[in-house]
Order: sequence, then structure tokens, then C-alpha cells
Amino acid sequence: MRQVLMAAAIAAIILVQGWSAAIAHHGWSWTTGGNIDLTGIIKVVQLGNPHGRLEVDVEGEVWVVEVGQPWRNARAGLKDGDLAVGVEIRIIGEPSADVNDRRMKAERLFIKGNEYDLYPNRD
Amino acid sequence: MGEVLAAIEGTDLAVTLRGARWTYAALNALHIAGVALLFGAAVPLSLRLLGMWPRISSETVARLLVPVAASGLALALATGAALFSVRAREYAGNGFLQIKLLLVVVGVLSALAAHASYGLWLRAVSGRRIKAHAAVSIGCWSGALLSGRLIAFVDT
Repeated sequence: MRQVLMAAAIAAIILVQGWSAAIAHHGWSWTTGGNIDLTGIIKVVQLGNPHGRLEVDVEGEVWVVEVGQPWRNARAGLKDGDLAVGVEIRIIGEPSADVNDRRMKAERLFIKGNEYDLYPNRD
Repeated sequence: MGEVLAAIEGTDLAVTLRGARWTYAALNALHIAGVALLFGAAVPLSLRLLGMWPRISSETVARLLVPVAASGLALALATGAALFSVRAREYAGNGFLQIKLLLVVVGVLSALAAHASYGLWLRAVSGRRIKAHAAVSIGCWSGALLSGRLIAFVDT
């Protein structure tokens, strides 16, 4: 049994070290608290539970933009197909506190001049 | 492997759950209920096997807690599989999910081995081996619960 526990512990350590991760997603603890404003072209769209995610090309730099779950996006007025590859989008939201991590959590989106407010209670 | 995971994401169930609101929330709640039943039964059962509550026979404890733990495990596995299908490719690469599944496999195998040796109701157990199974049980289910919760806090 000791060997089993030992093997599990070693496997766990290898797995943790083998993958590099940014603490992300839940809440706003991983963001800076201040907003940034980016405009770019959507390159990858991954919508749906547990959260939506875009990859946006901002002047040659790829940013991961976390958007809402389906209900939050729908409440903001987004329709199926609004968030699509090739669409120009402006995003206001909080970036990751890690400056090397090109990731942000969107508060408001602008597509073709229309505003979509994902978090109406945030500035 | 990637094709299999993509096919899982393409099933009707996964597509529905990705876009659902309350169904997805309910599925999360049921998964937590399964984990709660499993953890909440396995820990006191294991503590009894480690020597706590000596006035209550291990068989009495097992008759109550083994079915509860098994039901919780079944519920957690079924709902967990459905939750996995929503983002199969992403979750398959998540280190914490890999650790969690490893711990679940070790925990289940250890429990099956214990019951194979001592019977379903763990009659007249004593000695160091059953204590080792109990310790593995507490370690695996605690670790699985923790690493399961951490899945949501990292991005692969």
C-alpha cells in the first residue's frame, strides 16, 4: 500500500510540473483591477459552459479573452454568430495581473458600433 | 485520442449542456451531491477501520456507509462523465483532472481489494492491512476532492 501511495504522489508531482498554468477563470482575483481597451480580429471562438473564450489578434499579438457563459452573453444582447471568426471586436475588461499572460476578462464588448455589456454592475 | 475527445464534445448531450443554464447548474449540483455522499461515507468508515468508535462494530458501520459511498460514487461518475463531455479536449489536458482521475482509480481499486478480502460488510476486520486500505481511502478521496475543485482554477 505504501508503494501505491508513493507512486500516486510521484505521479501527481510529475503531472503538476509537466503542465504550466495560469491561475485563472474564477472571479476577478487573477486580474489587475484596472481596465484595458483592446481592438482586434477574432481568431478562435469557444463558447458555452463553463465559460466562453475568444482568441483575438491585436496587432499581431494573440490575446485570450474570457467572455461570459451562454446566459450572460445572451443577457448582454449577443446573438449566435455575433462572436465569430474574422469579426472585428473591441473589448474593455481587466487583464491578467501577470503581464506575460496575454489574457483578459471582458466586461464590455463592441461589435460594429453596438455595445454588449457583460457585467453591467462593473465599471 | 483527440478525435475521440472531439466526438464526445459533439454528442447531443454535450452540445445541449454547453448551452444550458439551469440544467448545467443542476448537473453541477448533482455532481457535488455524489462527491458529498462518497466522501461523507468513506471518511467515517475509514476512521472506524483505523480504530475510532470501537464500541460500534465495523460491520454495523459498513452496512450503513458502504451502500452510501457506492451510490455517491455512481452518481459522481455519471454526472462527472456528463460534465467532462462539455469540454472533453480541454479537460483531458487539465493536470488537476488527471490527478483526480488517478486518485479515483486508486481509491476504487483499493476499496474493491478490501471488500474482496474482507467481504462487502467488512466482518471481523483487524490488522494492519485494512488500516492501510482505510488510510489510502482517506488520502485518495481527500485528494480527489481537492484536485477536483482546482480544475476550475487553472487553464491548460
